[in-house]
Amino acid sequence: MQTGKRITQTAWTLGFLGLGITLLAPANVPAMSGEDAPEVIEIDSLSKLYGPVTFDHGAHVAMATCADCHHHTTGTGTADPSCARCHDGKEEAESVSCSDCHAAEPFNDEGLKRMENHELFHMDKPGLKGAYHLNCITCHQEIGGATGCQDCHTMTEAGEKRFNTGKHAPEGYTPGAAHQDSGKH
Amino acid sequence: MNKQLSRRGFIKGGLAGTVAATVLKDTNADAGHHFEAYPNAMGVIVDLTRCVGCRSCEAACNKEQELPAQPEPFDDFNVFDQRLHGQRRRTDETRYTVVNRYEVPGQDHPLFRKQQCNHCNEPACLTSCFVNAYTKTPEGAVIYNSKVCVGCRTCMIACPFYVPTFKYSSAFKPKIMKCVFCYDTRLKEGKPPACVEACPQEALTFGKRDDMLDVGHQRIRMNPGKYVEHIYGEHEAGGTSWMYLSPVPFDKVGLDTDVPQEPILNYVTGFLAIVPMVLTIWPALFTGFHLLATRKDRIEELENDDKQEA
Amino acid sequence: MKKFSTSNPAIPIVDLVKPDGSSWTLKEKLWLGLTPQQYKEQFFRNWINWMMVGIFAIGIPIIIQRYIFGLEAVTHASNDYPWGLFLGFGLFGMVPLSASGFMLGTTVEIFGRKDFLPIERLALLNGLLGYFFAVLFLEVDLGMPWRLPYPMFISLGPAAVLFLVAWHVATYLSVQIAELVPAFCEWYGWLKGKRWIKSIVLGLTVSGIILSTLHQGALGALFNYAPAKIHPLWISAEFQWIHFFCSSIFAGLSMVIVSSTLVIWTMQWRVDDRFRDSLDRITLGLGKGCSYAMITYLVIKIIAIAHDQEWAYLLTGWGQYYLLELGVAVVLPMFMFAIGVKNHWVGIVRIAALISAVGIIWNRLNTSMIAYNWKLYPEIPHWKEVWICITLYSLYFLTYRFILYRLPIVYEWKGEK
Repeated sequence: MQTGKRITQTAWTLGFLGLGITLLAPANVPAMSGEDAPEVIEIDSLSKLYGPVTFDHGAHVAMATCADCHHHTTGTGTADPSCARCHDGKEEAESVSCSDCHAAEPFNDEGLKRMENHELFHMDKPGLKGAYHLNCITCHQEIGGATGCQDCHTMTEAGEKRFNTGKHAPEGYTPGAAHQDSGKH
Repeated sequence: MNKQLSRRGFIKGGLAGTVAATVLKDTNADAGHHFEAYPNAMGVIVDLTRCVGCRSCEAACNKEQELPAQPEPFDDFNVFDQRLHGQRRRTDETRYTVVNRYEVPGQDHPLFRKQQCNHCNEPACLTSCFVNAYTKTPEGAVIYNSKVCVGCRTCMIACPFYVPTFKYSSAFKPKIMKCVFCYDTRLKEGKPPACVEACPQEALTFGKRDDMLDVGHQRIRMNPGKYVEHIYGEHEAGGTSWMYLSPVPFDKVGLDTDVPQEPILNYVTGFLAIVPMVLTIWPALFTGFHLLATRKDRIEELENDDKQEA
Repeated sequence: MKKFSTSNPAIPIVDLVKPDGSSWTLKEKLWLGLTPQQYKEQFFRNWINWMMVGIFAIGIPIIIQRYIFGLEAVTHASNDYPWGLFLGFGLFGMVPLSASGFMLGTTVEIFGRKDFLPIERLALLNGLLGYFFAVLFLEVDLGMPWRLPYPMFISLGPAAVLFLVAWHVATYLSVQIAELVPAFCEWYGWLKGKRWIKSIVLGLTVSGIILSTLHQGALGALFNYAPAKIHPLWISAEFQWIHFFCSSIFAGLSMVIVSSTLVIWTMQWRVDDRFRDSLDRITLGLGKGCSYAMITYLVIKIIAIAHDQEWAYLLTGWGQYYLLELGVAVVLPMFMFAIGVKNHWVGIVRIAALISAVGIIWNRLNTSMIAYNWKLYPEIPHWKEVWICITLYSLYFLTYRFILYRLPIVYEWKGEK
């Protein structure tokens, strides 16, 4: 279980290798641009109940600024006044990879310890899964993009089992026929 | 922790005393004692601005707690239209948590609210239980022992959040069914409950209750206008481990805003305080009445005796 | 019965020995001195017994169904409405109507009002049976009825109001049994037991007052657990237990009036001259007590509204229903009692007693079911739930009558005492 997670984590990091390479450049090189990143990124860190997401980074670069998703880390300025208080956004951060800041397991011992540190401004930093979904879905809601779970990733066999759907749907269930008045008596 | 124990202990001791008809000497020892929760109790903050109603938490809970299969798959969103007696879905013996949809005027998209046991600091179910079937663990969970439960269902009356449910369908093995914060399988080991882990939106944030309060207040402060400036559960029913942040007034998303801002227990302490009083004063008072009321008979008796002696 | 008592001077049985000097056997006493044939004849001549047979014929299978298939099969108890008629009527209604035992025990034994002696045992029996059947109702309602002794011995939750109710009802039941032992001893012919009870009667009565004050109040305090669920007019954190205790006073007295009225109407053969001749006077005396208790109750009900600042609620639909309850179940009988007592109209006092007894049940149902969940939706009990209540109440009626026919409750034992 634990090692499985570690493997996916590693795989995910590798997926962002392209981004990682750019970090080898001297830190004083100003702002990176969307073209520096790979066109398509496979996000598979959570691929247990759902299959990996093929994220078309190139398409999103055309629609949004780097800072919309990467906060201040890409050195392209930051729109969020809360970030701007400490980060002017003019300088590239050591890493722009989501997983380097957003923990895959936000509520493990380490995560809980971190939240106890009241001097830490980022005490309420979402975990990796939260960061993805909050970022994607919030924006998709605003611009009318896809928001359904399976719009972005297909459900795996394990997912169908978990959600009692597809092959694992309850017996006698007909989709769309949720009773108006179910329950006892 | 000590404070809490001493307060509960005080009332227990007081009543146990009454049963043995002993005199409680110091009835006011702990009155006005401010109650504080277990310092390391865990909590969850539910952020309604984040929840998208995906029902992942329901699915995770169903599997984690090995609850019976539901009639609909967990990715069927028509369930949000279900009404029973005009009410939205609620928890029952087959589900410890449900998410409901609320169309709130002025909001451009519907809001969703997850409900489950709120795991009160001073639970009404626990304090109203006459067989001590409930326990508030130091980790913050309110758990239940079906081995001693008599099935009187007072806890269901007392819970201000309508949480405990009863297995009415069973004649021989009925019991109370409710969310236990995944105590046995996860919380005890320091892990977050299954629903929290399953939430894609991190609408459920898990941590020490005190830290969750900080998180909640920070979110309110950092996002002016985004939230109602109150954390539901900070004080409701004396404070709960599960708390809510909402962009709209809480009654618009089905939370009862009439729930008192103090433990439900406080509503019965007034009565419980008279118990030792009645036990000590009544015997003397009524024996006195008896002597007064029958003194004429007694005087007559004495006079008769005197006459006989004379 | 009248037919047999005119033909056989030995019955009704009022003594340990027959007129010819031989003793009644226990069996004869149980058969009321009749032959089994005669007993059957009188039993089936009574239309009430036929009605009982009908009620049981349907009720007993339903009760069996409840114990095999669970509460769900016979009630509308739900997660929103955990308590239904079994507790609303059977526990919260029966217990105040059974306050008669401690009321008259206090009047006679503590205050030395020997003029109420003829009705004391009826009041004690009314109390004992009411409590006993409240426990039976509870046994139907409890999810795990076989665990009834758990709160007493197995797992104690002494900080709970219900713990207090459980212990007090249990101890009070024993006190009431003890208080009625003398009647049984006379009838059975075991005078030693009676003498021993006589020596502790003052202690028993005082403990009766304590236990009654506390658990009548505790039943009210139970509702304090749901301050946000019950309509504010029916719940008052500070006054709830006082309301319940105070209303139990006139409820208990009214119930004795009702039951003594039934006795004098239908059991002329069983009552003796002492009971017959004093009943009108006693009824007026009890009626006076009722009217005093009711005015007190009315005042504290109004004080509670003032204290909780609930005047505005009175203008709503709920408020009108509340005023209807107060008007019909309290104010009306209160004036009827007062007028009846003043003019010595026993009839009107009896009608008032019936209204106030039914009114108390109405109040308890209002508190536990109708005003409960007032913000959600109303729940209508399952017909089987109603039928089980009627069945148990019929059983209560039969037991009550069975004892009244035999033990010296409404007549004085002629034999050795």
